[in-house]
Amino acid sequence: MTRNVSICAMAQIKNQPAIWQHRFQGMLMECFESIMEQTQVTFDMDTGLRNVVTCSDDVFDARTISDAAVTDVVGAHFRGEEKVAQDGISALGYAMACILSGHDDLILVMGHCKESQSESRNMCTNLSFDPFYSRPLGLDYLNAAAFQARAYMEETGLTDAHLADIVVRSRQNGAHTRHARENEQVTAKEVMASPLVADPIRQMHHYPVTDWAVGFLLCCEERAHEFTDNPVRLTGFGSCMDSYFLGDRDLTAHFALKKACARAYTMAGITDPEKELDLVELNDACAYQLPLWAEGIGITGKARGPKWMEAGGMDKHHVNLSGGMLNGNPLMLGGLARAAYGFTQLQGTAGINQVTGLQRALAHGTTGAAGQHHAVLILEK
Amino acid sequence: MEKEMNVTDNDNFDTMADQELIVLRKTISVDQKFATGPVMGKFLTALKDKRILAIQCPECGRLQSPPREMCAICRVRNREWVEIGPRGEMRMMEYCYYSSPDPLTGESRETPYGAIGILLDGCQKEEVFWHLLRPEHLEMVEMGIVMGDRVTRGTRLRPVWAQERSGSIDDIKYFEIDE
Amino acid sequence: MGFKKKNRHVGIVGIGETKFSSHREDVNQPEMIHEAVKDALEDAGLTMDDIDCVVHGNMELFEMVHQPDLWHTLGTGARGKDAFRLTTGGTTGGTLVGAADNLVAAGMYDTVLAIGFEKLQEGHTTGGITNMADPLWARKLQSGALTDSAAVKAIAEFGPDRAKKAAMLYRIIMDKHACLNPNSHRAFGLDWDQMADLMENSPPLIGDLRLIHMCSQSDGACAMILSSEEKAKQQCDHPVWIRDHITIHREETLNLCVNHYPNETTHRFAARHLYERNGITDPLDYFDVFEMYDPSAWWGADWIRDFFLLEGDAHYRLIEEKEIMRGGKMPINPSGGVLAANPIGATAMVRVAEAAKQVRGNAGPHQIPGTVNHAIASSFGGTMWTILIMLEKELNW
Ligand SMILES: [Zn+2]
Repeated sequence: MTRNVSICAMAQIKNQPAIWQHRFQGMLMECFESIMEQTQVTFDMDTGLRNVVTCSDDVFDARTISDAAVTDVVGAHFRGEEKVAQDGISALGYAMACILSGHDDLILVMGHCKESQSESRNMCTNLSFDPFYSRPLGLDYLNAAAFQARAYMEETGLTDAHLADIVVRSRQNGAHTRHARENEQVTAKEVMASPLVADPIRQMHHYPVTDWAVGFLLCCEERAHEFTDNPVRLTGFGSCMDSYFLGDRDLTAHFALKKACARAYTMAGITDPEKELDLVELNDACAYQLPLWAEGIGITGKARGPKWMEAGGMDKHHVNLSGGMLNGNPLMLGGLARAAYGFTQLQGTAGINQVTGLQRALAHGTTGAAGQHHAVLILEK
Repeated sequence: MEKEMNVTDNDNFDTMADQELIVLRKTISVDQKFATGPVMGKFLTALKDKRILAIQCPECGRLQSPPREMCAICRVRNREWVEIGPRGEMRMMEYCYYSSPDPLTGESRETPYGAIGILLDGCQKEEVFWHLLRPEHLEMVEMGIVMGDRVTRGTRLRPVWAQERSGSIDDIKYFEIDE
Repeated sequence: MGFKKKNRHVGIVGIGETKFSSHREDVNQPEMIHEAVKDALEDAGLTMDDIDCVVHGNMELFEMVHQPDLWHTLGTGARGKDAFRLTTGGTTGGTLVGAADNLVAAGMYDTVLAIGFEKLQEGHTTGGITNMADPLWARKLQSGALTDSAAVKAIAEFGPDRAKKAAMLYRIIMDKHACLNPNSHRAFGLDWDQMADLMENSPPLIGDLRLIHMCSQSDGACAMILSSEEKAKQQCDHPVWIRDHITIHREETLNLCVNHYPNETTHRFAARHLYERNGITDPLDYFDVFEMYDPSAWWGADWIRDFFLLEGDAHYRLIEEKEIMRGGKMPINPSGGVLAANPIGATAMVRVAEAAKQVRGNAGPHQIPGTVNHAIASSFGGTMWTILIMLEKELNW
């Protein structure tokens, strides 16, 4: 590869339970205006933005071609626009490709999702299953996750108390993160008393319904100085798809996550993730996924998640200092929220939870039931 | 992997030519709450008072109705409001013989119907308002056409307001000939 | 800084298409996709082991499946591969080819499999398209992709007689092409002497847009395999090179008079920029074949003018002199085009696939005579969106 890619700017609105006062177009406009103001980037056909990569979903927006609704508010009128319809970390991976290919110098990435719009996000994710067998069984992302949680708890001895610790810590960290969803602080006891929604997953183990929008300006490294003094480089990306039927998968084996990481680590020149990653943002839609994904990316060993937690692994490896997806980001944007937080940490603007001496961060996203598709992105100072 | 591939291997199906093929019929619906936001919301609220509002771009002056948060051409936020119409000139008509079901209700419209573009008073060029024509007037109207310097005037139309107005597209029943 | 050369060249090494049909009850979605994937792998002489990454796209609300690439893994072979899902409405197939080109040119993957599909019989197509309109306003007014705005414009400019004849001539030429393509969903065997009858008696849909003018609703899938120059030359004797692609979208439609900027369509804007940055001054002379995403005969006839940057009635003369037929000056849609088959998420990719087959010279019964060195394919979707993709036989630009 002959070029490198940098993030020059990021803009987001606050994660909120229900942004009833705005269309999603208004949510994106705030992010768009902020990026324009921060960078003064233009849409000149020679030197400016020629292409915008969006991230949204037709089912969650209840609109065929959901990107048609946002062309104006992402600046794409009479420019290119391509929608990535999976977890947004793939949108960043694809935007990298647009620049590395030489096709574009600059890409604007804009994502939105309004989980509060539909009566039930579980009814939406039920529609991701085949209509003949799995859908009538009632599978959705939540109860598919429950199968994985049970398998993982059986294998490793992860307990309800471990899960409560993850939730308590997530909400503490979330309270220290700008633009994070405002949640009540809870005690471990309260978490363990919260109702089961899909055994063994309790209500507080599952990320809350959230609305959010975010934007990133990506640029080839040699032009980054035109837009920022403080760029963050994207040095690795990898993704991987697993089998569709849950029964065809070993739900705790990390088949897809390991392959996705292997490709991202090779691209970024990482050989020992445990030592070389200074900050890790995992897409934990449910509490059990934090230690499970930590195993998958190789910062602890197989089935060692609970032991790793007990030894202080979450803080030692700076995992989900943002609060994680568990604190509240919408589906589709979990990975973009991870990357956005990694970006602020590497820029040194993360506030109370700022880590000093950071060089390299990992941001992770998942799509599908129980992590059928994983993608990881490596960000560097 | 191997197993999955075999399942979809076409050759295996040739022997099943006489098999009954079952088609599963389902209607899928997930209730939605669509926010209107401050821009569309202001426009819809005005319809309750029988007023049609347009939002204006601060740079190019373009009027948009229904309004949008931004002017796509200038990439800036729209801020100023202008009242337009309610009368205007018909500029375009889709004379629809075929009706698709309304995806919000599942009901099909009666055909034929006219989906029309009206250049409301105060608007120019492509600032055309999209609504329906009174069905009885389908055969009685003319489209206005602008081809370079050649301008043909279309039929003058006025809105017919619904008795009960809730701030929705249905607050205008349709447009009819303005005599 | 302007437009740069790609990081590395990318070639098409495999093409697969299903037969297009109004109904495929004999297969479910992943099974139908697998037919195209298998066909593309066989065409390339490759196995799934050679594929690094799978790119998938279609419209979720047509079949009411959320994130369908997850289920479709059964038929795409994506397990263990990097996987992307991109969708942009009717332009999806073009977006997928452009994305695969970018992913390979970037050096991130050597070989990418792109898959576009739709099984329109499993939903309500016009209702599904109407769903794209704003729920607060236009959803009440729009009727899918049906519109006679192109007819209104053409009749105003050229008079009803000439305009209606040109649209019907275009329609019959497309049908003559479709009859040669074994994958066609609709091939009627129309002849010139039926023109007057069809212009009068084909059931009207909207204004002067009649059923015969409009594209179909089809089931089908298309798969294409793209590789880096180094890999492509190992995998294939004659890869077809992707020279460049351009995507131009526009704001959502909230009124009925669209497609001016204020005076240029997305098609003309895209074509002008693509030709300028590739040094093509006379596209009608440069290209040997054009596969156009022509959703209706009215649009197809009208858009020739924009895609080739023509003025006045030059596009009508091409139609009237049958220069757009196989063997003519600019053969358009030797495959029969979108009027012959329209599985929406695959349709735009089929345009690129058919153009590439023409370059290879093995399109089958609808192969055009003579050598095809330079080809162009268009995608259409959304609210008048355009993608153009340029293909070359030789790496000599
Ligand atoms: Zn403006």
